[in-house]
Amino acid sequence: MMKQKKSSLFGGVTLAALATVIVMPMLLPSATLATEILIFAMAALACNLLLGYTGLLSFGQGIFFGGGAYVASICMINWNFGLLSALLTAMLTGALLAGLVGALSIRRTGIYFVMLTLSFSQMAYFIAYSLSDWTGGDNGLLDIPRPALTLLGFEISDLVSSQAFYAFVGTLFMVIFVFARRVIHSPFGTTLVAIRENENRASAVGFSTNHFKLLAFVISGGITGIAGALYAMLLNFAPLSNIELQMSESILIMTIIGGTGSLFGSILGAGSIVLLGDVLSAVWPRWMILLGVALIAVVLFMPSGLWGGVGSVADRWREYRRRKASAIKSQEVN
Amino acid sequence: MSLYLFQILNGIGLGMIYFLISVGLTIIFGLLNFVNFAHGAFYLIGSYLCFTIVSLTGNFWLALALAPITVAILAFFTERTLIKRAYHLPHTYHILITLGIALIIQELTISVWGPIGKSVSVPDALQGVFQMGHFYYPKYRLFVILFSAVIAFALWLLLERTRFGALVRAGSEDAETVSLLGTHIHKLFSLTFALGVGLAGLAGVLAAPIRGVHPFVGVEVLGIAFVVVVIGGMGSFSGALIGGLIVGLVQSLMTTIWPQGSSLMIYGAMAFVILLRPYGLFGRA
Amino acid sequence: MKKMILRNVLLSAVLSATTSLSFAAEGVTIYGVKSVSGAFASYGKYADMGSKLAVEDYGTVLGQPVSYQTLDTEGNAGKAVRKVQEAISQDDARFFDGATLSSTALAIGKEVNKVNGVFVTPAGADELTGSDCNMSTFRWSVPTYGAIRETVKPLIDQFPDKKRWYTITPQYVFGEALLDNAKEVFAAEGIEHVGNSYHSLKEQEFSGYLTNAMAAQPDVLLLLNFGSQSSNALRQAINFGLKNQMTILMAWSSGLDQLQELGPDIAEGVYFGAQYWHTVDTPMNNALVKRVNEVYGMNPNYPLAADYISTTVILDAIAKAGTTDSAAVAKVMEGTTYAGPTGSETIRSADHQVLKDYYLLKGKSAADMADADDFVDIISSGKSFPDESTLMCKRS
Repeated sequence: MMKQKKSSLFGGVTLAALATVIVMPMLLPSATLATEILIFAMAALACNLLLGYTGLLSFGQGIFFGGGAYVASICMINWNFGLLSALLTAMLTGALLAGLVGALSIRRTGIYFVMLTLSFSQMAYFIAYSLSDWTGGDNGLLDIPRPALTLLGFEISDLVSSQAFYAFVGTLFMVIFVFARRVIHSPFGTTLVAIRENENRASAVGFSTNHFKLLAFVISGGITGIAGALYAMLLNFAPLSNIELQMSESILIMTIIGGTGSLFGSILGAGSIVLLGDVLSAVWPRWMILLGVALIAVVLFMPSGLWGGVGSVADRWREYRRRKASAIKSQEVN
Repeated sequence: MSLYLFQILNGIGLGMIYFLISVGLTIIFGLLNFVNFAHGAFYLIGSYLCFTIVSLTGNFWLALALAPITVAILAFFTERTLIKRAYHLPHTYHILITLGIALIIQELTISVWGPIGKSVSVPDALQGVFQMGHFYYPKYRLFVILFSAVIAFALWLLLERTRFGALVRAGSEDAETVSLLGTHIHKLFSLTFALGVGLAGLAGVLAAPIRGVHPFVGVEVLGIAFVVVVIGGMGSFSGALIGGLIVGLVQSLMTTIWPQGSSLMIYGAMAFVILLRPYGLFGRA
Repeated sequence: MKKMILRNVLLSAVLSATTSLSFAAEGVTIYGVKSVSGAFASYGKYADMGSKLAVEDYGTVLGQPVSYQTLDTEGNAGKAVRKVQEAISQDDARFFDGATLSSTALAIGKEVNKVNGVFVTPAGADELTGSDCNMSTFRWSVPTYGAIRETVKPLIDQFPDKKRWYTITPQYVFGEALLDNAKEVFAAEGIEHVGNSYHSLKEQEFSGYLTNAMAAQPDVLLLLNFGSQSSNALRQAINFGLKNQMTILMAWSSGLDQLQELGPDIAEGVYFGAQYWHTVDTPMNNALVKRVNEVYGMNPNYPLAADYISTTVILDAIAKAGTTDSAAVAKVMEGTTYAGPTGSETIRSADHQVLKDYYLLKGKSAADMADADDFVDIISSGKSFPDESTLMCKRS
């Protein structure tokens, strides 16, 4: 049932993502805000690969996000890394950290898996603030540059304006989005879903489920690392809160509210939460109550999140059209 | 008296407080197979109710009696309306729904009591300290340790020696059979959830004079409770006791040996235990 | 359906946000960076009230209406920076105040400086007027240098025979700065520093550290943490009966809001360092207390007073400069002396540090309190700042 819906929407979803990326800066008050949404959508998308497609609830996403941000920033500040090499470093850092965390965590399942990622997250936070010579400790890492985009020695854009940087992040986001779709629809992705649905059966069929889980972790970590580095470039600043447990929690919440198991849902989730925070927090400081209500609602009534809501409306519409068409047909026959 | 000896004593005291914080969590997990991420939030309500009752009546003992019962009643209704709908879902969903509940409780707490923390005075009868050499130990903390020991014993009796306990234990093994015996398993689950959460409320009351009352304390408490329970073995009653003592001792000794690393050590210990003994020291598969 | 409703809500919210921003562009707007929601709401709420009131009281500047816009940090430095960037690029915002967290303040200082704006903050990081100083950043709070010298030194003078001091320090940049200053004072005054306990950033259980302190048998226990950590460290120290065994000094308290949290049972007999106290007898402060009581029905606390004066100082400078060109306004602010809540306050040109008093307070018993907020007596006050020749601030 789920699978059918996905493949029927395949072409459309990528287009929808592209349309969103193009339209967002026009609708929103600023390109900076749109950039933040895309960066968190990227992180949520990576989280979705774990939670939505593999069924792994990781409280470790902040480690990869913060790790990517720190390492890319340190490389840019101290060794003048360029834009693409800094992002590559961030990706490798995220992937490496995720490989480490993943290799240890996937040895356990269920609540014990969650608790392992949680404790690694606490340890990473501790390490980050202890290494204050490198990370700036609780003051955060300041004066992070946003290098120009150069390709083969030609400067394509200096990325100084917020619009230019948005265009860059948007392009990168689409690349990652398409990549993630390819991953999901590859045999590898199908196996991940099989693991999520029934791990015992998957391993009985002969899959080495742990290898698959680990690879999912590594991919997720790499993407999250890039998101972290982009966030540091956006703000010219890497606060310690990047690597805090709360970051993991908020990435998770975005993923879940947007809809697990749908990549477009991650854009919806990140977008709605960042926007809600922006619009509501000044009016109603206790707006996070809504997040709580939304979480409960998702668990009890909307297991596939906001996107699931959209999906079921679309399904109903198609159903309606089909009935109408068949009604007309039957009339014609008569 | 040497510093280390006193740190060990202090660690045992701390461990008993941690036991009290965690025991409700482990009971709920053991008997209902439910992961409660709102445990810290109910602790929070307990300590704020304690503050309100003490500032209205000036009577800490009244708070000690009333606040945990109020929290348990709240928990009972939360279970009836929300929690019970999630029992059949995987643990992941338990975490999400209780995370939502915790968020709502935390924000409502700020709306009701304001963002600034509160203090609760130690009851008059327990003011003062015991002196050992040039070390002091607060009478109130000693009271909390003894009280926790009494609670531990009472809980043990309840779970091992009463019909309620027997049903609950049987229910956790095989809910259907117990239903066939004519017992309303849902009611049993609601009561157990209320009991476990009420214990979190009790911990909140007892900790209020030591830790103060602060809207963001729930998260920290939740962290400690999970570390204790995971180390001891989720669902194991004696595990919570031993886990609490281990965490208390590690934390207390670390403050002398390597203070910066005390929080690292606690989470490190948890990861270590999960990796070496997946079901904790006393857990069952 | 759900989607439609959601989209409508989002759209209308976005529209209202955009329209409110475009209205704000007329006249002079002060942007308050405040942690209204999230984990630091206890601070941001009052800071926001302070700036709001200051703008209201000012009315017009250069014949134009003054307006105020809150930028909620959501307790998150990253959000704060993004919102400041947005205000600057969308709205030509140039005048900012607030920021609770050191990290937030440091990063915002950098952003505002890129457009030669003005940013006045009461945050704690010495780097603001030290190694990370710039033309745009001004700091109202006394640095750790003065906070230690105006508390530790008077206490040593008052009790010359209390020679043994023990410190409890949070292990992060700010805590280290306080500790370094304390060590300098100890060395200069011939004090024996009998020990220090470091603790981690999130510690709330202090019994172990207090045990270490007891073992060292000090005459004075100096707490160098702040916020909820200092509250819990003090609360537990009182539980352990340390008040009867030694003098306790909390060098960096947040003032009234913290004392309201602690209450007289805990605070009695304890010494506190503070940036501001509402009973300070200066003309400006008396007026402020009266006004805040009228409007909000409470006494001003530190965040309220700090952000009230920060906002006023910016508006005064705009009036004096006769222009809303922020670089010119920043220039005018340098070297200005004005009547602030703590008395005569001067903005030092060299590092943009406001030179103002820091207070040593002593907790009263509940019986001695004249009103609900009369928690302390002011023991001493004064200005201590590092000499201009030793400043870390190197500005081009």
